[in-house]
Amino acid sequence: MPAPANSSIYDQVVRVTHVYLGPAADRFIARQVENHLHKSPDELSQADLLSLIDWIKVVVSLLTEDNELVEEYTNELQKLAGDHAKSKRA
Amino acid sequence: MSQFDDPSPKSQLTAHEQRAEAEALFTSIGDGAISTDEFGRITRVNPAAQELLGYSEEELIGTWFPKKIVAVTAEDKPITLIDRPITKAFLTGKPIAEKTYYRRKNGQKIALSVNASPILLNGKPLGAIEVFRDITLEQEIDRMKSEFISLASHQLRTPLSAIKTYTHMLYDGYSGKLNQSQKKSLNTIISASDRMNELISTLLNITRMESGTIGVTPKLLRIDKIAEEVVKELSLTASSKSVKLSAGTKGHRSTSIKTDALIVKEIITNLASNAIKYTPESGSVSLVVRPQAASIIIDIVDSGWGIPKDSQDQVFSKFFRAHNIVKRETTGTGLGLYLVKGLVDALGGRIWFVSDEEKGTTFSFSLPRRDISSGRIKRD
Repeated sequence: MPAPANSSIYDQVVRVTHVYLGPAADRFIARQVENHLHKSPDELSQADLLSLIDWIKVVVSLLTEDNELVEEYTNELQKLAGDHAKSKRA
Repeated sequence: MSQFDDPSPKSQLTAHEQRAEAEALFTSIGDGAISTDEFGRITRVNPAAQELLGYSEEELIGTWFPKKIVAVTAEDKPITLIDRPITKAFLTGKPIAEKTYYRRKNGQKIALSVNASPILLNGKPLGAIEVFRDITLEQEIDRMKSEFISLASHQLRTPLSAIKTYTHMLYDGYSGKLNQSQKKSLNTIISASDRMNELISTLLNITRMESGTIGVTPKLLRIDKIAEEVVKELSLTASSKSVKLSAGTKGHRSTSIKTDALIVKEIITNLASNAIKYTPESGSVSLVVRPQAASIIIDIVDSGWGIPKDSQDQVFSKFFRAHNIVKRETTGTGLGLYLVKGLVDALGGRIWFVSDEEKGTTFSFSLPRRDISSGRIKRD
């Protein structure tokens, strides 16, 4: 799902997550950012994405047995990290 | 050099030796231990875990932990995946310790104390580990202890209330007019049965507190009103010793707070009656409510005998009685402040004191303005 160019990294992560976790997405990602990266959601930067994805992968793996779905979700997030890297280089 | 002088630093061990050491450590833990990979699949399980859960290593390795090991509540309802200790450890990023129930292979429910923690390598989560211990016996002992105390208290209270009722009837002349000496004897019986009643209540409360079964029911209440009620109820006791007892509020902030009225009253009553007891005749005891932005502080200030410096660190211990008090006052049990501390903790508050021997003591406790959880107090 392409994200609007002007939206923050946090909003884009939430948008991707919404597909998989529904309305809990915002709160879920906010907690991951605060608890594991020790930042507020609006401080989330591109440099944090890979670390955030590591945590998300483990937590979501405890909520669903479907490894493929977890991989699909984390791949979507990885793409987001890649997109950001590309847009930064451009 | 003896064999014990060689510490064999980790850096000198080969990777193979380090793995063997970790494996031995994991296998020899007396508590059950299960580790998972980043997908929640079981990677390791020690013999204690196999015995506790009734599964063999082969039956567990590679399976999805949350599905294979079913967690249930005390009422036997399934615990949602998000509420399991291991998930909470990942959601919060902190090790979690709590009581829960797992279902064994044969369907039997087993009470466990669980510690769950993420496995990290250079800050990257690789999986999780849960270490758990069977607490079925502890729970059963706690239940039996509570049941016994509750039964014993009830059985003690029933004859006690008959003693009190008939003593009052005799005192009031129900069976004929009494002389002063007879009245004095009956007064002694009444105050002794009151003391026994208080002691039973204290023991019952301590049992509840220690077993974590004190119910906390938060309601919006005014602390200054509770302090005034306590002053009214203890006014006779205070005036019998010519101790001036008062209550007041310092500051302009609200004295309203959402907390448990009965517990707060018990705390203030206990501290105030202690203050009266340990204050000499013609002294004073005042209750001061000091509302703050995030909490309300209640001071119980007395002009009593004070607590000797060398005993001050034991004040909240069970059965503690200061040596300067034992000489003067023989009726205390040393359980009051221990109970008070437990009750303040149950409300999420803090308690402290400042004392000068022969000058007086100020006990203070704070109650947080935030909401406290409704229901049973958890002690993990």
